[in-house]
Amino acid sequence: MPLIAAAVAVVALAGCSSGGGSATATGSGTSSAAAAAPVTLTFQSLSDQPATIAATKKIVDSWNAANPDIQVNVVQASWDSVNDKLTTQFAGGTAPDIIHDDAASIVSFASDGYLADLTGQMSQAKKDDIGKGLLASVTVDGKVVAYPTEVQSYMVFANKTLLDQAGVTIPTGDSMTWDQFRQIAKATTKNGVAGVGWGLKSPVATFMTLGLGSGGTYFDGTGTKATIHVGDNELALPKLVHQMAYDDKSILPVTLTQSGSEALAAFYGGKVAMTVQGSYLAASMAKDAPSGFSWVVLPPLAGPQGAAQAADPQTLSVSADSKHAAQAVKFLEYFTSSDNLEAVNEADALIPATTSAQKAMATKLGSQNGWDQILKSGKDFQSAPFLFVNKYSQWKSTVATPAFQKYLANQIDDAGLTDALTNGWKQLG
Amino acid sequence: MSTLTVGASVDRPVRRRSGAGRRRQSRETAVLVAPSVLLIVVLSVAPLLAGVALAFTDARLVHNPHYSFVGAANFTKLADNTMFWSSFRIGIVWAVSVTVLQLVAAMGLALLLNADLRLRGLARVLALVPWAMPPVVVSIMWRMIYSPNAGPLNAVLRAIGLPGDTNWLGSFTTALPAVIAVGVWVGMPQTTVTLLAGLQQVPVETYEAAAIDGAGAWRRFTAVTMPSLRPIVTSITSLNFIWNFNSFSLVYVLTEGGPGGKTMLPMLFTYIEAFQNRNIGYAAAMGVVLVVVVVALLGLYLWSQLRNEDKP
Repeated sequence: MPLIAAAVAVVALAGCSSGGGSATATGSGTSSAAAAAPVTLTFQSLSDQPATIAATKKIVDSWNAANPDIQVNVVQASWDSVNDKLTTQFAGGTAPDIIHDDAASIVSFASDGYLADLTGQMSQAKKDDIGKGLLASVTVDGKVVAYPTEVQSYMVFANKTLLDQAGVTIPTGDSMTWDQFRQIAKATTKNGVAGVGWGLKSPVATFMTLGLGSGGTYFDGTGTKATIHVGDNELALPKLVHQMAYDDKSILPVTLTQSGSEALAAFYGGKVAMTVQGSYLAASMAKDAPSGFSWVVLPPLAGPQGAAQAADPQTLSVSADSKHAAQAVKFLEYFTSSDNLEAVNEADALIPATTSAQKAMATKLGSQNGWDQILKSGKDFQSAPFLFVNKYSQWKSTVATPAFQKYLANQIDDAGLTDALTNGWKQLG
Repeated sequence: MSTLTVGASVDRPVRRRSGAGRRRQSRETAVLVAPSVLLIVVLSVAPLLAGVALAFTDARLVHNPHYSFVGAANFTKLADNTMFWSSFRIGIVWAVSVTVLQLVAAMGLALLLNADLRLRGLARVLALVPWAMPPVVVSIMWRMIYSPNAGPLNAVLRAIGLPGDTNWLGSFTTALPAVIAVGVWVGMPQTTVTLLAGLQQVPVETYEAAAIDGAGAWRRFTAVTMPSLRPIVTSITSLNFIWNFNSFSLVYVLTEGGPGGKTMLPMLFTYIEAFQNRNIGYAAAMGVVLVVVVVALLGLYLWSQLRNEDKP
C-alpha cells in the first residue's frame, strides 16, 4: 500500500512539473502585487578567478546591505559544464533568477524561450553606454535578453627575454599584422625554443573570433535560414596556423592539441617565445608567472581586413521563469554601473562592456600588465554573424571542432577542411 | 519470471482446496507481487516506453515545448548521418577490444590470485582498488598520467631510453588505444572477482585426476578450467560488452570525443545531441538504434555460446 501511495505521489509530482508554466504565471502576478515583501534572488555566477569571486561578493554584499527587500544569493557554478547544467535546470524548472553565461550560448536559450525579454526594462542610459556591436550581440529577434558585462579578446603574450635574445624588436602601435606575427615566430624558433605555443584543442572559438580579421564571417543570414560559406576569407587564418606549424615549424606541435591553460605551461617553462591566449590570462600571469619571468602583451593581431575580433561577451540574463524579474533587473543595473564593472573586469583582465567602465579602467590602470594593449583590442569588437545562427553550437561541437582538429593535425588539406565544414553543416538538416 | 515460480510453488498444496480458496490464493499472490511489478513498471518500463515514443517526435528541450509526431523521420535522417555511423564504428571497436582485453587480463589476474601465493589477501584487495574509484576521478588521474609534457608515463619512457614525447590523448594514432587501455584498467576488478569466484568452484579433484592422466599446466587450463568457467565467461563478457558500449563518463572526461572525433563513442554523440544541441527527439532515436544493435549483437553472441554449451 505505501508503494501505491508513493507511485501516486510520483505521478502527482510529474503533473506538477508539467504544470510549471501556469504556476509561474500566477507567481509573477502575485509578486507585483506584493512587491514590498522581501524577495531572494539566486545569482548563478561562473567567475573562476579568486579576485573576481571576491569582487563579485563585494558588489553583492553592498547591494544586500542597501536593499533589505531584495536579497541576492550567489551560487557558484563552473564554465566547463554550464550549458549542460542550464539545459537541465531550465527543463527541470530550477533555473536561477540571474544567469551568467556568454552571448554565443544564450542566443540559443533565448530563441528557445528560456530568457526574459529585457528590452523595456534596461535603462536607456545603459543601452547608450554599451557599445553598439555588444548590444547587438545580446539582441535576439529584436529583444534585448542580457546585460553584457565582460569581453574577452585574444592577445599575444610574449616572453620578453626570448624576443630580445632573438634580436626581435617588440612591436608597438595599434596593431600587429599576421605577417609580422609569423616573422617574429620564425625568428624566435631556434635553440630548442618554438616561436608560438597555441592551445587549439577547442579551435572553433579562436578561428571564428580572430577570423573576422580576414573577413571570415562563415555564415549568411540568421536563425534557421542561415547558410554557410567557407572561402578564402574563412580559410586565411587556419591556413596561417597550418603554415606556421608545418612549413615554418614555429608552433610547438603538442600545444595544438592542448587547452590554452595547458599550453601556458610551455610558455612559463621558456619552451615557446609567444602564446596566443584570452586576455583574461593577464590577470593570473601577473600573479602566477615564475619570478624573474619577463612578459609583455603584444599589440592586437590584425588580419588583411583589420584588427576586428568577434564580440562574444559574458552576459547576465534573467530566467523567463523568474518570479522577480523586475527586482533582478534593478540588481543588474547596479551590477553594471561603471565602478562595479571596472572592478570585475580588472579582476578578470577582461574588457568592460560599457564605454564608461572602459574609460574608468584606462585612467586607473595605464599600461601596467599590458592593459593598454588589451584595451586597444576592445575598440574593434564586431557583432559576429555566428552568434545568431540557430545551429551554430551544434555545428561547432559535432562538425567544426573535429574538422579543425583534423586540419591542424595535418590529416586533411584545405579542400578537405572546406568540404568537412560545409557538408557537415548540410547534414545537420 | 518471478511471478511464474511463485505461482507454481503455491499451486501444489492448494490442489485439494475449493475453487474459492484457489481464487483467494491467487489474489494473495497478486497482492504480494504487485509492489515489485509496480516498481518495475514505474521505474523501468514507463521511462523506456517514453524514450521510444520520444524517438518518433520532433521534441526539443525548449521552454513550453510542443511535440508533434513525425513518424520515422528521425530514423531516416539518422540513416544519412555519416557522423553518427562513424561514431558507431568507433563504439564497436571500443566495446569489443575493451571487453576482450578485459577478459584476457582479468583471467590472468584471477589465475594468479587463485594460486597459493604469499600475501594473497592483500593482493586481492589491491586488485579491487580501481573498482572503488568513480569514473571521473579515474579519468582525471589518467589524463595526468598521459600528459605529454608533465606526465609520469612519458617521464618513465624517457628514463628507460624510449621516445618520451608521445602526445597520448592528442595524437590521432594513439588516442583510441590510450582510452581503451584506461577502459580495460577500470573494468578489470569486477571481471577478475567474477572469474576468481568461478575458479574457486572448480573441484580440486578434477585437477588431480587430470594431473594423474599426465596433463600439463596448459592442458589442465584448456581441458578443465575453461570448460568449467564457460558459463561465467559468457555472462561476464555479455555484461561487460553492454557496460562498455554504453560507457560515457570515462571518455567524456578523458578526451571529450577528440581529437578530430577519433574517440567519439556513440553515447557521447547522443549526449551532445540531447544536452548540447537539445534535440531530444533525435537523440532518443539514436538511443533506440543503440539498444536494438546491442541487443542484436548480444543475441548473436549468446546464441553461439549456448549452442556450443549444448554440445557434449
